[in-house]
Formats: sequence, structure tokens, C-alpha cells
Amino acid sequence: MRGKKKILTVILICLVLGVVVQARIKLVALPERAATVIRLDNPQATLIEEERVLTLQKGINKVDFSWKAVSIDADSIRLAVLDHPDKVKLLNVSYPPNEAALVWEISSDSDYAERVRISYLLMNIDRLITYKAIADKAETGIDLKSFLVLRNFSGEDFDMARVLLDYGEAFERGIQHEETKQMLFFEAARVPVTKVWTFDAAKLPWDPEQLENQNVGIPVSYRILNDKNSGLGAFALWGGKARIFQDDGHESTIFLGEDVTGLVPVGEKTELYIGDSRDIVVTQQKMKDQRINIKRNNSNNIILYDTDEEIVAKIENFKDSPAVLTVIEHIPGQWDMEKCNMDYVKKDANTLEFEIKLPARGKDGPAELVMQYHRRNIRPGVQIPDVQFYGR
Amino acid sequence: MKRIFILLIIAVVGCTAYGKVDLVTLPSRDTVQLTIYNSADMTLVRESRALTVKEGANKLQFSWANTLIDPTSLEMLPKANADRIDIADLTYPPRVRNLGLWNIKSGINGRVPVEITYLTSGLSWRAFYMGTLTEDEKTMRLQGYVRVTNNSGEDYENAQTRLIVGKVHILDQIAELARRQWPYGRPEGPITLGVPAPQIEAASRVLKAADRAAGIYAKDELKEIRKEGLSEYFLYTIEGTETIETGWSKRLISFDVDEVPVVNLYKYEQERYGDSVVRFLSFANDEKHKLGDTPIPGGMLKVYRSIDEAGHLSYTGQSAFKYIPVDEEVELNLGPVADVVVEPKLMDFKTENYEFESPGRNISGWDEVRTYTIEVRNTRDIPAKIEIKRNFPTQYWDISKKGDFDRFEKEDLDTVKFTIELKAETKKRFEYTVRTYHGSREEDWKQ
Repeated sequence: MRGKKKILTVILICLVLGVVVQARIKLVALPERAATVIRLDNPQATLIEEERVLTLQKGINKVDFSWKAVSIDADSIRLAVLDHPDKVKLLNVSYPPNEAALVWEISSDSDYAERVRISYLLMNIDRLITYKAIADKAETGIDLKSFLVLRNFSGEDFDMARVLLDYGEAFERGIQHEETKQMLFFEAARVPVTKVWTFDAAKLPWDPEQLENQNVGIPVSYRILNDKNSGLGAFALWGGKARIFQDDGHESTIFLGEDVTGLVPVGEKTELYIGDSRDIVVTQQKMKDQRINIKRNNSNNIILYDTDEEIVAKIENFKDSPAVLTVIEHIPGQWDMEKCNMDYVKKDANTLEFEIKLPARGKDGPAELVMQYHRRNIRPGVQIPDVQFYGR
Repeated sequence: MKRIFILLIIAVVGCTAYGKVDLVTLPSRDTVQLTIYNSADMTLVRESRALTVKEGANKLQFSWANTLIDPTSLEMLPKANADRIDIADLTYPPRVRNLGLWNIKSGINGRVPVEITYLTSGLSWRAFYMGTLTEDEKTMRLQGYVRVTNNSGEDYENAQTRLIVGKVHILDQIAELARRQWPYGRPEGPITLGVPAPQIEAASRVLKAADRAAGIYAKDELKEIRKEGLSEYFLYTIEGTETIETGWSKRLISFDVDEVPVVNLYKYEQERYGDSVVRFLSFANDEKHKLGDTPIPGGMLKVYRSIDEAGHLSYTGQSAFKYIPVDEEVELNLGPVADVVVEPKLMDFKTENYEFESPGRNISGWDEVRTYTIEVRNTRDIPAKIEIKRNFPTQYWDISKKGDFDRFEKEDLDTVKFTIELKAETKKRFEYTVRTYHGSREEDWKQ
């Protein structure tokens, strides 16, 4: 820490026996901060560990630790004795009124220049992770770089500190108050990616023609697995903003899009939404919606019925390459599928997922998904019950 | 106006000065490439410069006051001796705005070519079109243009200019990132904006002047635009380089295709267009129509018609259209017309087949039967194709039809479509009867 800015101070007070201290008398020694560690492994809070040498006298010593213009969680402050842990004891901690400070009472069986480690949670200093990926032209793999961004708005200058994360090598850096530092954190080449197109019937318009001069973009994502086969898998990938570029084949790149990923544990996948495809067009229409199996009460009112519904979705691929489109359909309530010309996976009681292989344009014409189903036991005026049963 | 500066500072041991006077070289841009997006206010800038470095620690200061650069997007990569140049970090110093400092450890003395990339706001492009129909309106000359505008605050001289057609997903507006007081914000507290960006408004005022002056650019030599697909996007690369000063815009021709076959398509759908017939110009972005090399970016098309041998024109109308993928058909809405007429008339109405809850009690079901005649007239001196859509208020219906129409289709559960082809100055007439089922009669309906 430079002399111009001493914000954290440790003051050693030697108590002479029998003296009753009315006002707090400070300043006996001002031990310099030695090795400092900034530990950023918890995204919620940053732990600072700093070593100092306290000149202790035999007997009871009082050490005053105070701070200003920084935000320290006072309950988080700890003191560890490093050289003579059996002989130097922390007896108690007291907090003076109306001060950002605390006083350690330490007993020592002899005079020591004792190394101690003071640790505390310091606010407004943290790290972000960002990613930059360059996809190859065929979009089968990416070169992934991860950057660590240190942001120090704590009020404290660190001339040099050992910065620790929960993985990767520790490194030495200084960082001043209000400074931001960005550094390359890790690189992984040729990480395989799967490109995914998704049409969710609950989120996208069914008939693009009804929209005047607006394209319906089919969301496109890159799916990345954090595992060994991907050249990753050594540790969880932290969440952060990812910017994805693509090699354009002319020794340059284009920007494909950006998304934010959550934490990706080892073995898990992340999907980064990069943009919308306007070259895959889905036109979905309901061709039939008829009440059947109607039951009436004595007043001849309908009290229960089923439906006979038919959905037809035309899927056109205008791209010059094949694609696999994931189509998500939703059928509320109780239902039975009567006819469906494509295989699907039931993701939950009301969600169906189709994986539809689309050849490149001009081959085989548009694909057509036709599904006919009956919704069962519908009661007029009664909302469809939540079919999820939340157990007692 | 040059607003991006690079200073190379050879670090003296213990030197912590940021952006002071330890200037060694001021490397100028050797080349610059702009990749401009139109779905977002964003441009990827790639510039190459040659730095002169000394063995050991070097600091390179990059500043961009009064521009709209996103500082979080800055990246520098050595293009030679990459194994001997270590870019240790990029520091955004405290209490200094629009400035980044690269700490470089060099294993060599001498010149190192580097590539600096970043995203900036303020450059944009859009597509627009001119269509000229032949007298018989069977074909159209279609000319596509792009117009590139620079409001970035930075002059880009001799820049290779590339345009991206496509819709990228972005989380933050680049202009907002550019105006942040701290590039990555600060922990917890809200991200405060620094100064507002008056230069954008100022630049748009300048642009108006540039609009007036745009005529000068019309005399530019025609340049080819190379088009290629990448991922979900299309990349247009303008031949050679362009100089676009801040505040100015430039128009370039993208393609010029003559004799694109077109169909005059007229549509009638009361629920959508009211009682008027709406004219559409229809073609496909495919080889048959002398197009189809690449998708056509969305934009405004102004349509004219040749009216005589001397090449005089009449303005037909304009239509904004969306992105047209290769092989897709497009229908350009040119607005309502009076020279093609569709007249539906309800000729008969009756109700029948009443059902009752029980004898002497309320009505529970019935049918409604409507008979319409539809007369379609083409008063123009050229043929026309007309699509008529009829919507029914229920999905329980039967239809019978007779008369002079060319095609009938069920569009969806409550819509049908009649298609009629009419020669010049002719008319056709057809009739349909629709029975709709109501109440308990719905149960008797069979598809």
C-alpha cells in the first residue's frame, strides 16, 4: 500500500498494567501490510487475507484495527496467529462505539515479532468472467477464450496482491481503487459445438404471413458441453457474458451474437442463443378443433366434452445446408395423441419435442408435421387444472 | 476527425503513470475493416497497426474520447512473433475515461504488427430498392442499393467495408456500453452513465447536411459487392475500400437485375383489407426470376412503370418488405386499387334444423345457410390473378360452390381461399353456399 492512501490501519497498543484507559489511546506501532491475498472464489463476497507482523510484548496487548472509506463486514474480520499459535492467544474482540474499528486483546507469553494473518470480507471488489469464442466456418467447433475482469471499487489500493480463484493458477497483480483489469484466464481450442434451431409454438407466431413485413426468426443456439470430450471438463465454467464470432474464411471474423451463460458444472451443457435464422420458416395452422363426446346435464347444458384437434406445421428450409429443427408443441390438460406423422419426446405432461431433420433447400420440398389429438374431459367454464401434482 | 489514439509507452521500472508523456511512437492505422450490422447498432472494427516495442515491459495506451466504442470489446492480438509477445492484461485506469492500457511483455525489440478489434456504435446501413415494371407489367427491373451511414464520431479512411444481413442477438446496446463511466460497471451499485452523448444528436444534424450533399456520391464508380453466407447471416463485402467521414452516408448499388418475371396479384379479404382490393407484386427470389444468389435484405421498394418508348416513368407505389430467403416467394403490398374489383353479395339467407332442449323448451341448436355470389372484374389492360379469402365465424361449416373460379383451398379451420385468373378487361362470377352449425347442431357436423 502506498503511503498516500492508508485506509486500513492496524495499531498496536501496549497496555501498561493498572492503567485505566478512558479515551482510546492509539498508536504504538504501525505494522506494514505484507503478503496480501485477494480471494475471489465466492461470487458473493471477496475475501482479503493480509499478513502483518505485530510487535507483541509479554502480557496483554491491544491491537486496534480500523478502516475508513472502505466497506468491510465487521463480523467477518478474523485474526490468525502464524508463528506461535500456542503462545500467543487472541482473548477477545471489542468494538469501540461509533467507529469503523475493532480492538483485539492478545496475550503473549513473551516478546515476539509475531506474524499474523488478518482476513475480512471486503465489499465492492469482485470479478467477472467473460468469454470470447471464434467458431469455425462449418460451425462445428469454437476456439474459446475466457477473460477474468477484476473490478476494484472498494476504496482500497492494492499495489500487489496474490489473486486466487477457485480454479486456475493464482497470479500476482496490483489493482488500484476504481481500476478495472481484464486478463486472459484460459483458452481451449476446437471445443465442439452443436448448432440448434428451436421453434417453440408457445413463443413464436404461427403464421408468418399474417405479420406484415416482419420475419419470424427461429432462435439459433450453440450447445457446448463442459466435459473432457470438449477439451473442457476440468472445472465448472463460471457464468458470464459470451461473445461469439465466426471465422469468415478471409482471415477475419464476423460477430455472430452474444448471450450470457450461467454456471456450467462439469458434465453439464450450456446453450448460447446467438441470433435468429430467417432462412427456416415454420407456418403452423390449426386445421380442426371440434367438440366430441359431449355430455349434458338435465338442463341440456354441456358439462363435459372432448375435442378433436388437428395441427399442421409446414417447415421450409431455405438454407443451402441441412439443419435439425427442434419443434416444441404444447397441449394443455389431459390429452391423447391420435395420429402424428413424426416421432416426439414427451418433455412433460403438456410439452412435446420433435427433432425434425430438414434437408438443404430444393431437396424434398417442405417438411410437414401433422398431429391429431383429443383433449379429454373438458368442463365448460372450468380452467384446466394444473396437471402438475405438487405432493404433500 | 481522428479520435482514436494509440500511444506506446516504454515502461520505466516503477512507472505507474497513465497516459503521460512517455510517448515513443504513435502508430497509425495500416488497414481498417468495418463489418456493419443493420439489425443492431453495431460495427466490428478491425484495424492493423505496427507497434515498435522494446524487449521487456511495454505499455500501450489506447484512447477513444468522443467515439462510441464499447471498451469491453477491445482486443489486441500480435500478428507475428505471437510466442514472444505476451499481452499480460488490459487495464482501465481509475478516474480516466475512454482509455485502456495494455501491458505487453515483449521478448523482442522492433516492429510488431498487431490487430486491434472492437465494437462501435454509430455506423449503420440499410437496403432499399427500385423496381421498374415494363409496360405490360410482366417483368420488372429490380435495382438494390445499400446506404451506409457513419455517425460514430470517427472518420474511417480507406476502410474495407462489409455489411451483415441477419439478426444477431445482443444483450446490451453498444452505445450504452460506450457511455458507461466504468467499462464493466462497478460491483453492486447501479451502473451510472457518464456524460450523455451529445455527439449523436450533433451527428444527426450533420447527417442532414450530408443528405443534401449525397448527390456527389451518386457519381461514384460502380463497385461490385461480393456476397456470401456465414452461419445465419450474409456477408456483403464492398469491393476496394471506402472513406466515410463521420456524419456522412454513402449509397452503393448492390445488384441490378433486368426482366424479373412478376405476377400481378390482387387480394381481397374483408377482415384484413376492408372492402378494397389490394395489389401485390409477386415474384420469387430464385433462379427462374433471375435472382436467388443470396437472400434479399428487407427494405423499401419504390415501384415505377415504363409508360412509353422514351423511357418515361409513372410511379406505381411503394412497399416495405421483409428479408427474403433464397427460393422464397415474396408478395409486395402496393396498396389498395380501384381498377380490380371484387364484389361479394349475400343473395340468400335462411335458418333451419332447429333443435330444442326438450319439447316446449328453449332452442339448443340451429343451422344458418348463406349464399353469396362474388363478381370479380379486371378493368386493366393486362391480366390479373386474384385471391379471395372468406372467413367464417365458426369451425363448424360446410360449403358448396359453383361457377367460374380457378382454384379452391381450405386455408385453416375457418378460412377458405378462391383463386381467379382474369385476362385483361374481363370478369368472372361464382357462387358459394355455406352452412354453419350452431349450438347443439355442432354435434351433428361431420368434416
